[in-house]
Amino acid sequence: MFSRNLRNICRRYSQNVTFRTVEASPAQQNDNQIGLFYTMDKNLSKKLFGQGGLPKSYMKQTKTFTETSLMVRQPALDVIECIKSSDLNQPAIRYVLYGEMGTGKTLTLAHLIHYAHDDGFLIVHVPGVSQWLWKVPRLKEMSNSQTREGFVDLPLDAAAWLLHFKSQNQVLLKNEDLKISKEYVWSKRETTPAGAPLADLVEQGIARVKYACDVIDALVYEIKQLSNNNKCKTFVAVDGYNCFFYPRTRLSTPTKKVVMSEEVSLTTSFMEITKNDWKNGVIVVTVEDISVPRDHQESYLPRYLLYKKGFEHLDPFVPVKVDRYSEKEFLTCASYYRDRLWLRGPEQLESELKLASACNPYKFMELCAPL
Amino acid sequence: MSVFIKYNKPGSLGTIFNVQVLWRFNSTTAETVRKEEDEEFRVLDILKKRDRQQKRTARKVNIQPDRADRMATDQNWGNVWPGPKTFHPSSVPLPLRQGYVPKGQAPPGKKANAELMKIPNFLHLTPPAIKTQCEAIKKYCTEWPKLLNSEDAIEKHYPVEVITSDYCHASPTIRNPLARIVHLRVKLSTLNLDKHAKDKFLRLVGDCYDEKTDFVTFVSDRCPMRKQNLDYVNYLLTACYHESWNVEEWEKEKCEDDMEYYDWDNNASKKSLVNWHLRCNNQEINLTDEEYKNYDISKISNANGYKEAVSSLMNDGENEDTVKNYGSAVRKLFGLPERKFVQS
Repeated sequence: MFSRNLRNICRRYSQNVTFRTVEASPAQQNDNQIGLFYTMDKNLSKKLFGQGGLPKSYMKQTKTFTETSLMVRQPALDVIECIKSSDLNQPAIRYVLYGEMGTGKTLTLAHLIHYAHDDGFLIVHVPGVSQWLWKVPRLKEMSNSQTREGFVDLPLDAAAWLLHFKSQNQVLLKNEDLKISKEYVWSKRETTPAGAPLADLVEQGIARVKYACDVIDALVYEIKQLSNNNKCKTFVAVDGYNCFFYPRTRLSTPTKKVVMSEEVSLTTSFMEITKNDWKNGVIVVTVEDISVPRDHQESYLPRYLLYKKGFEHLDPFVPVKVDRYSEKEFLTCASYYRDRLWLRGPEQLESELKLASACNPYKFMELCAPL
Repeated sequence: MSVFIKYNKPGSLGTIFNVQVLWRFNSTTAETVRKEEDEEFRVLDILKKRDRQQKRTARKVNIQPDRADRMATDQNWGNVWPGPKTFHPSSVPLPLRQGYVPKGQAPPGKKANAELMKIPNFLHLTPPAIKTQCEAIKKYCTEWPKLLNSEDAIEKHYPVEVITSDYCHASPTIRNPLARIVHLRVKLSTLNLDKHAKDKFLRLVGDCYDEKTDFVTFVSDRCPMRKQNLDYVNYLLTACYHESWNVEEWEKEKCEDDMEYYDWDNNASKKSLVNWHLRCNNQEINLTDEEYKNYDISKISNANGYKEAVSSLMNDGENEDTVKNYGSAVRKLFGLPERKFVQS
């Protein structure tokens, strides 16, 4: 028992090694740390990604490894540098992360969210659009919108997202400066007065699930207003953004009519916040081929996945490619897996795994699992 | 017989005895009958005088020597073999051999050789024969135009090319159904078309146009005769050409989605660029579509590079390079640092 504890402690503190960096703040990381792992604070990762935001397989791995370690990779540093050097008083700049399946777009986004959190951004993070529109359970709670004709609400998803928003921005929402600019009337008895804190609006949506979608709509409007008035700066991150532009969804109304993606009220809200008609904001979205059905997965490039409509919506944006592991990144990842006892065996194993996985991070992880 | 076996137990003594007796009786009677027929005594004929026949004397036949052997070496071959015909061994003074044999043996000679008769021969097409024939028909020919002295000149003056195939083979019929197919091809650049007409022509011909070679190729095999097919492809070319010059009423409804190429000035991309520029300078955004189209982007720094990047992304198709170009153009536009590429 004692020896196991000792071993655990040794493993947890195996920090003085070549594949780790002690620089846990993404804002301070630089090119020297490319390919190295840094460990996120446990409470922070729970706060930021407790409600989703990391891929399922990665979540499992963090549990196994008893730590949330992210590799410092070039795309994330690139975007951070761009954010640092850009003028926030200009209209918000859109960044689009693209790349093959499994190269780490979502984890790059997680890295950027960590940066945004450290830098005091208000985080508007949508962990998976496809879970709203495409990869849905057969019976999904949905209702026709009360306020907007012809739109469909996803109240439970909206409320869950509000919870996620609340937990990600615990600190900032306590700020008294974030006030609502106008009064919102939900029903005869329920109103949110002008000048109430933003947190009230979020609470309202969580407490009265029926109005969650309308709350999100109001929230988006208010966040843009607050950012425009320099009250806060906002970091918008949407994972699987192209799902908004795939024409169909798996949702269907009680009359068996398939819902178009632009008929979902959440789509319009997040479409609104990804426009560049506001300032003090940074918008990072990922486009993934796996978040849309098979018939539209022929290419992972942004123009193809976003369709013409999405391209015109985002244009001009900065495309950032997330590539496979480079030689160095692969080796540090392999030694990290060895440190975590996730990978054992002779030295030659690495070169074989490199060939078998073609340096694709996800495939590499999968291949290491049974070893 | 089956009944017999059924009612007599096999192996019982009595049955075996009876059967044997029956068999013996039958065989003895048969032998006695044969002996009676062979009763006659045969005579031994040692010298076999009766069968000897008279020796046949070979009749002398006056056979002429082979014609091939009697041919003069300086004869006019064109007279011997004036036209196409099946091989005949006596007419050809050549030691020909043809046919499959096992290894080590010589192929059969030319006489009575079906193999040589089966294959088509070109014995009537010797160079002197061709020469004399050409000389003979020369008087019907006109002179080759002097100006058509190169391929380019021919292409320039006769842009329409008609390609047909003739088939020569040995079979009961000399007609081949494939000979009816007619290809007509013409370079698009040689046609007199303006911008609208060219677009319409390309839409009309569809797959017939090859972008790499600039050829428009019409192929017809729908009629049974070559002449009919030729008429048809000529008709196709004429009809497409004149139709592409017509401007129909509904063509005015052509919108941005129907465009054959991406014109950045007419598209949403320019609009969003102008909007972005106005927002950067905190100006009001209330432009009409015309104003967007005519907005001078040279005021915006790096906008021209952006325009080209978007146009190439749309016109050349999306690939790694065009996306990369687009990215660097946008970064320049926003004043962001270039992406560093790590050396792996």
